[in-house]
Amino acid sequence: MSKQLLTKVGMVVLLFVVVPAVLMAFDRGYFYQIATIAAVFVLLAASLHLVTGVAGLLHLGHAAFYGIGAYVAALLGSELEIGFTLGLPAAGLAAAFVAFLVALPTMRLISIYFAVATLAIGQMLYLIFLNWVSVTKGPNGVLLFSGIDFFGFDIESEIGIYYVVTAIMALSVVVLYRLTNSYYGNALRSLREDDQCAAAMGINVTVLKMQAFVISAFFAGLAGALWAYTTGYISPNDFNFSQSILVLAMVVVGGLGSLPGAVIGALLLILLPEVLRDVGDTRNIFVGLVMFGAILFLPKGLFGEVSALRFARRILGSGWSGSADNREVGWE
Amino acid sequence: MILSRRLTVSLALAATVAPLAGWAQDAPIVIGYQLPLTGNTAQYGQDFKSAAEIALEKFNASGALPVPVEIIYEDSRSDAKEGVTIARKFVDNDDIVAVLGDFTSTVSMAAAQVYKKAGVVQLSQTASHPDFAKISEWQFRNITTQDQEGAVNAEWMHEKGIEKVAVIAEQTDWGQSVVKGFTTPFKDMGGEVVFEEFFNRGLADFRSIITKIDETNPDAVYTGFFYEDGAQFLKQMEQLGVDIPVYSTSAAYNDKLIELSGEAADGLFLTATFLPTREDAGVQEFVEEWKSLHDGAAPGQFPAQAYDAVNIMLEAVVRAYPDVTRESMREAVAATTDFPGVTGNTSFDENGEPLKELTKATVENGEFVEVK
Repeated sequence: MSKQLLTKVGMVVLLFVVVPAVLMAFDRGYFYQIATIAAVFVLLAASLHLVTGVAGLLHLGHAAFYGIGAYVAALLGSELEIGFTLGLPAAGLAAAFVAFLVALPTMRLISIYFAVATLAIGQMLYLIFLNWVSVTKGPNGVLLFSGIDFFGFDIESEIGIYYVVTAIMALSVVVLYRLTNSYYGNALRSLREDDQCAAAMGINVTVLKMQAFVISAFFAGLAGALWAYTTGYISPNDFNFSQSILVLAMVVVGGLGSLPGAVIGALLLILLPEVLRDVGDTRNIFVGLVMFGAILFLPKGLFGEVSALRFARRILGSGWSGSADNREVGWE
Repeated sequence: MILSRRLTVSLALAATVAPLAGWAQDAPIVIGYQLPLTGNTAQYGQDFKSAAEIALEKFNASGALPVPVEIIYEDSRSDAKEGVTIARKFVDNDDIVAVLGDFTSTVSMAAAQVYKKAGVVQLSQTASHPDFAKISEWQFRNITTQDQEGAVNAEWMHEKGIEKVAVIAEQTDWGQSVVKGFTTPFKDMGGEVVFEEFFNRGLADFRSIITKIDETNPDAVYTGFFYEDGAQFLKQMEQLGVDIPVYSTSAAYNDKLIELSGEAADGLFLTATFLPTREDAGVQEFVEEWKSLHDGAAPGQFPAQAYDAVNIMLEAVVRAYPDVTRESMREAVAATTDFPGVTGNTSFDENGEPLKELTKATVENGEFVEVK
């Protein structure tokens, strides 16, 4: 078996055999809950990675698209009795659609102006969740009683929920992974490095930015639907500015531009506060110190972009060594 | 990379939980308490913990049970994801027979989904969302609903011949219930609501709202705010020279309101369940104990709610003993009748809503006094 295949199989075994086996061995709802939250945030971090890490656009309103997904899934489920199977894609599409609308006027902005625009978008959507009482039920939040109904199967067991959530997360991450390690991903990277140069070389910068923004919002929407269905109750505060910052911190600590980094960052910032729960009230300080230390000593992240690209090229192997004499493409 | 991290973390977590598994005969009875000990509502959570410790210490010293009762506190940071995680953790711990908390309705309700599924009684000292206690038979709360407070206020204004009222409240689930709880009975009595507006919590400038209220020329203003916003509102009313009587709920009842707004607070009317000045042995004992721990500051409404919630739970433990299980605890909590707490006598109705007597109070010369 080749090394590439081994890595892929290893990851699948880890996610779908080892972790579930450990979870089932302990059989504690607490661990299932942490696994679910970790999966949701891995997906969020991976989706933000596309915009902020790869395309280099500082996005401060990501939680709002996560919120749109959660609200669409929860409201469809509780008001119209449209279950998970349709609710999930609807959540992603709704988030993507709203992202498209807000992207139209804002995607020509660059650097800090873009960041402020996304900050405003995030706050605007948060205030809509909070104040559009007739639809979102405002601060009362939405109760969702129905469980996960996956293509006619009622998923009720903890392990079943884990598999559904993890499968959706894994599939999304694979899509994002292939996307960022393709020529399309390289185009996004070029616009991060020098957008004027990229434009001069014939890349339509605005369209590309818009696509990245919309795709990212789609996956954030999926994460929102997963959160709504696994918690059963959502309210505007789950999607406020601090959540956007949390996801951004995951991406930065893990390594900007690196998808494995985003995943590791998400796991770290979800698991660390839980591991430190016994420390007491000062645990937030420890989490802060770890983040501070990571930025100070590993400014490129826990799993930086260069390692991530090298890793990707090894895994995707043949795709990157297409020349006749089998010479490696990319840098080594 | 992911393998080793996930696995080690799972194992590390398992190691912290494992010691709880083995328990001896005389093991303490354990209650979980989820509350915000850090984050931007930490001041409330810290007060709850302090009040709970006073109640628990007194209970264990009284020797009402041959075994001690223990409370495990977990910090939710008023964050729904943490709240749910804690709920799962509590449910996993077979020693925990009942749960107190959380502080905000949103976190309490997210956690309630877990308690409902697992069958653990949950008593919140503050969750005021209209649907909280309706989630299942396992949810109880020790705070009067705004339906109750609104009705008392409406009646009170009606008696004074007030006909036109402006209503403002913060834009939260609680604020919504304040407005609904008041306007419905007030309109039924023939009153008229001439103005209704919500503001976002922490609003610094109420002047535009006050101006709009003044334009509608009401006989009184009914307000749903906590003391921080309340102080701002009252001060700005005075600055603008708007002299309309203000009525409010028990949430505004806090010495800090007077501290922050000074003379502007004089003449405020409100309903309250807890008055530290009440001449009652239980109230005075709690107030003294609290003052000795907090540099002489009197406790507000919320610590008193928590103190009572803990005592209601402890009384339920006594009632259920020696057969203390999650099921028997639900029955025991539901059976609470006329519990003599510092916030008045408490019974639960069939939905887990508390039935309490409300005290009418007003501010006179910088002090809360009871209106007889």
